[in-house]
Amino acid sequence: MADFLSAYSVQQWLESAPQGYLKETEFGHAPGEREPDLLLSDKVLNEQAIRTTVQLVVGERCALAASSGLINAAPDDGSKRFLATQTLDEARHVEIFTQRLYELGVSQAELENVLEAHANPNLVKFAEVLLEKVDKKDFVAGVVGQNIVLEGMAFNVFEMLKAANDELNPKFAHTLSGTIADERRHVGFGENRIGSLIRENPERKPDVERLQKEMSYYMLATFADTFRDRSVHEEMARLRGASEGGSAQWQGVNLNELGPEQMEAILADTVLKEFKLRLERIGIEYQTPARP
Amino acid sequence: MSEPESGERRRFELDDRGFNEVPKPYRRYYRNWDGRGDVLGPNEALCPVCKIVVRSSRELRPGDRLYCMACMTWLTVVEGESGRLEARVVY
Repeated sequence: MADFLSAYSVQQWLESAPQGYLKETEFGHAPGEREPDLLLSDKVLNEQAIRTTVQLVVGERCALAASSGLINAAPDDGSKRFLATQTLDEARHVEIFTQRLYELGVSQAELENVLEAHANPNLVKFAEVLLEKVDKKDFVAGVVGQNIVLEGMAFNVFEMLKAANDELNPKFAHTLSGTIADERRHVGFGENRIGSLIRENPERKPDVERLQKEMSYYMLATFADTFRDRSVHEEMARLRGASEGGSAQWQGVNLNELGPEQMEAILADTVLKEFKLRLERIGIEYQTPARP
Repeated sequence: MSEPESGERRRFELDDRGFNEVPKPYRRYYRNWDGRGDVLGPNEALCPVCKIVVRSSRELRPGDRLYCMACMTWLTVVEGESGRLEARVVY
């Protein structure tokens, strides 16, 4: 069993998550917290919030299918137990973001149609590529795709989303906060598991580099689409106006003062930079993904 | 914080900084990082994997081992290029 997992246990997960930061929460936030009225009453803003949340549900459904599928592909007991707890984390994420869609006005009958209508095609394609690897019980490809590419990038985006919502939408920020705490374990597992593998089996390095190159394109394209969408920024600007301004600090900058292009540049400077650093730490050289 | 004898490491009383992502007995060993403006103490190191500050009850020195319970990562303290102490991941 990988040494880093020797200190990990389901008991520790129980004490950290359900009995820790998730204690007394309802669907990831404090009981009674609601979406801001403007987000429910304004058609344009409501549509944008639904579209953003759809990407979260689609990404988390992919992570749920991948983490559960990887349990039986894992070569050691420690990884199996970790992935079992990750599976429950991902199921919770699917549930809390789906619940957010309901609170934004999507009915249960409409749910699948709404997901299909708004899901980013690049994210859907990423899920297909990843789940194909998982179906083949390719443990290394699954962990690289899920815990390094998908979650390694999503981790920074979630932090940025949380910072942008801390004052404007505390309910959503609190929901994201618990998700980020879960993601710390997931990225830690991915980096440590693949880092150990490369250290012990350096001949696997070209394989992992090829997988990164193959799977990064769709995730980067998804984030680029999301932050290129001006209507998201208009939504935030409207909400800021309604809540009399405020500061959304993240990585030392005030997100409220940034336009879409600057936001995209900040994202490239953080998500991609952090992703490259993560790969560098485990001994992998970042491969610029080719457009498939 | 207690004043050290010459060459001795300073010792630190660790308080709970509200970090609730690990079981209660270990919470005082961690705190959230506030971003680029956050200044680390001589007993603190930033986990490069999950960006949580790991705290020790004594001043850190190169070669010290730390454990980030938030992301299950073992770290070793090294002197970085800038001369400041940094945490490196041990795989």
